[in-house]
Amino acid sequence: MFAYVVRRFLNLVPTFIGATILAFLVAQLVPGDFLQQRALEPNVRPETIERLRQQFGLDLPWTVQYIRWFGSLLQGDLGLSFSSNQPVTNLIAAPIRNSMVLVIMSIVLLYVMAVPLGVYTAVRQYSLADQSISALAYFGLAIPNFFFAQILILGLFTLRTFTRETFGYNELLLPVAQMTSSNALDWPWYRQAWDVFVHALMPTFVIATSGIAGFTRVLRAQMIEYLSSDFIRTARAKGLGERSVTYKHALRPAVIPFVAGIGGLLPVLIGGAGLVEVVVSWPGITPTLLEAISRQDIYVVLGLVVVTTFLLMIGNLLSDLLLSVVDPRIRYD
Amino acid sequence: MKRLAVPLAVTLMFSFTLAQTFTWPNAWSANTPEEAVTGGTLRSYSLSDPRTFNPFVSAEQNDVVDAANLTTLITQGPDSDAFLPYMAESFTVSDDGLVVTLNVREGMRWSDGEDITAADFFFTYTAETDEAVGSNGYDSWFINGQPIVGELVDEYTLRFTFPEPDRTALPVMAISPAPDHILGEIYREGGAEALKAAWGTDSDVSETVWATPFVPVSFTPGQRIVFERNPYFAEWNEDEAGNGLPYLDRYTVTIVESVDAALNLYLAGELDSFAPPTVDALGVINQAIVNGELDATLLPNQSPVASSQFITFNWNKASDPFKESLFRDARFRQAMSHLVDREAIIDLVYGGSAAPMWSNVYQVYDYWVDPDVPKFPYDPERAVELLEELGFTELYDNGVRANADGDAISFTLATNAGNTQREEIAIIFADAARAVGVEVDVQAVDFNLLVDQLLSTGDDRPFDAILIGLQGGNRVYPFGPNVIPCDTNLHMYNQSGACLDDLEQTAEDLYFEGRATLDTEAARDIGYDIQRALAELQAQIYTVSPLAHYSWLSSVRGEHPEGMINAAVGARQLPLTYKVD
Repeated sequence: MFAYVVRRFLNLVPTFIGATILAFLVAQLVPGDFLQQRALEPNVRPETIERLRQQFGLDLPWTVQYIRWFGSLLQGDLGLSFSSNQPVTNLIAAPIRNSMVLVIMSIVLLYVMAVPLGVYTAVRQYSLADQSISALAYFGLAIPNFFFAQILILGLFTLRTFTRETFGYNELLLPVAQMTSSNALDWPWYRQAWDVFVHALMPTFVIATSGIAGFTRVLRAQMIEYLSSDFIRTARAKGLGERSVTYKHALRPAVIPFVAGIGGLLPVLIGGAGLVEVVVSWPGITPTLLEAISRQDIYVVLGLVVVTTFLLMIGNLLSDLLLSVVDPRIRYD
Repeated sequence: MKRLAVPLAVTLMFSFTLAQTFTWPNAWSANTPEEAVTGGTLRSYSLSDPRTFNPFVSAEQNDVVDAANLTTLITQGPDSDAFLPYMAESFTVSDDGLVVTLNVREGMRWSDGEDITAADFFFTYTAETDEAVGSNGYDSWFINGQPIVGELVDEYTLRFTFPEPDRTALPVMAISPAPDHILGEIYREGGAEALKAAWGTDSDVSETVWATPFVPVSFTPGQRIVFERNPYFAEWNEDEAGNGLPYLDRYTVTIVESVDAALNLYLAGELDSFAPPTVDALGVINQAIVNGELDATLLPNQSPVASSQFITFNWNKASDPFKESLFRDARFRQAMSHLVDREAIIDLVYGGSAAPMWSNVYQVYDYWVDPDVPKFPYDPERAVELLEELGFTELYDNGVRANADGDAISFTLATNAGNTQREEIAIIFADAARAVGVEVDVQAVDFNLLVDQLLSTGDDRPFDAILIGLQGGNRVYPFGPNVIPCDTNLHMYNQSGACLDDLEQTAEDLYFEGRATLDTEAARDIGYDIQRALAELQAQIYTVSPLAHYSWLSSVRGEHPEGMINAAVGARQLPLTYKVD
């Protein structure tokens, strides 16, 4: 096993270098550079743009830029952001942390909701509840998250109209944007934490929805397959109770693919919550990445790509190792 | 808008002497000092994090730091284009217009209690003119490539010598000071690199030092910047009743990822003001006000925005002599201008919330806009007449117009992909053109690619026509130094390095004449002549200018009086703003 892990690590090195070269190359293929937009300012002289281009090293061939950047990377330095003159490491730390709040909450919600629903729909196959949950699952799979978030925001405002007209209560049930309230700084830490939690509820629900839908459908299929297997029939013949049969014998093998996939959650954790973050103005990775791309602040983009790539590779390795733990048929020695 | 247009010449001729305290005029607020309430928080928003709190690290514009930099040596009020002494107690301009002497107001203090002196302004000048620092302000310290030379005369006196008389030079004197006792020390000890590394967004903002009405006390990336009242500001800023300013205790800027998110926060009551960017947003706010969900003021269509949108043709197409001669002919461009249906653009693209644009001066600078500038309004029949004058009398079976040699009028109009409004304008123009036999192929291309094409030089540039816009400029002389002279980089239609048309040459000559004219009215008259020359030339066919809208909660007061709110000066002066319960 140890030899396998070392071998895998060694294999990761060329993969990592290849990924960074590819990312760098793609960034270079985009026309123009960070300073291009300033060229259209009527009061900025072209020689100033050229001088800044030299200061930022943007006039060098991309190979030289890459070697310089990779040299810094080996020393743990992800480079400087053009727009803020700040180390990229500092700039991406907060968005990663903020995204993790949403992602962890949505993963917890995903497992808490999807496992019971998957088991229930498998055990009560073709019942009204199964049909309803399946229909909702398809709805959850089909609707894009960013659109669902907008519908929920509209729903919250509509609900406010209803409560105002009916009860004279003109407040929103949940916040519709940002991560904290405007006066949060005046509050004690526990109230600030609660404030973040309340702000995260709506986007968490949105992000978890599609996951719950997919997870429930797959778990249902796995459970149905295992519930009709020989070893379940044997277990029932031995006189085991239905609860024990379902949760001890059928559920365990059915969740193996999900357990093995936990390693894959690592890059997801920092990969951010996608466009939902933009819709609800959550200061996570996606808005940071999109802004850096639009500004062509390439070292910020590359910093995020490097961290994501690294975690993706470590996550894949962890997934493979977990597989051998949960499935005795897999051995790496 | 009614203006109290004090001629700049008068401003330049006389020395100002005010008390040590600057009194904010009642005329700048819709409310009186007696109505004002102290305390409270104003909640605003920004579409991006501040990149830095360092005034010299500004590879691009930074709204948040700009908002904090309200304190300058001289300033322009919202009611006049004339410069007033502000952090300068007075200033004088020599008779030849070459030497400006500024007497810094005594008794001003930084937010850490240290005195603000001429050394702070001189340090700003020194750092901004250091190439290695790379400040955004660097270019403003040069006139036609010659430097403006600064001199620290004594503790409270500065002198700047200009290489030549230039009316665009005075705005440079609106210097915002940087603390010499902190940033100056860093610069002297560690040079440009140390200065650039200071006061980044990772530093403790509560340790930064400001002269502004509010100072940042906390910054949470992606979330919020909190500013608190600077007690030292009130020592030299007061209203007409003698109350220290600002009225508010706190000012917060929430960072939002999109305008839609800002709108949602405003509707939820989490923000105190919002500038609706579209008619849709305007409608949503209006509906919320009508429904009683939002207790707010809404001011739609206050003024055109400070930017332009135009179609420009490429005069440098050596590889296609037919197109080159066509694009260089003013009659062709006037015909194309007659095909821009500005009313349709206003209705279809901007939902009625825009104004036709005829001149190269942004309409919001109404003092400078020539009301009698030649116009080439939508008139397909006149366009056909002009094209027939040019010999395009044949109509092919496919509906395309051609001359006797068989050369058809067909060109590509590019605009930046993703700007849906510009894409729609291009399509409306192409439809109108097609109806009279002019084939226009609309292409949406990447913005940077478009800029590359536009800024390309030489006698064979890679585009036919481009629809794009410009922004930037000021109320002192709203003619782009990089746009009008024939050898400059934003002289988009002709990058041969020399003027090719008499009117083009006329506009360039007038531009320099106007810059050297310190008398504002005389400069405006020259500005009118520039606009007329450029309108006849139609090298840039102006389309429409969207209108700016404003909204704020009813609890927020102290906005500019009616008629004074526009895209150039905004809705309010922050120190005069207050909130009521």
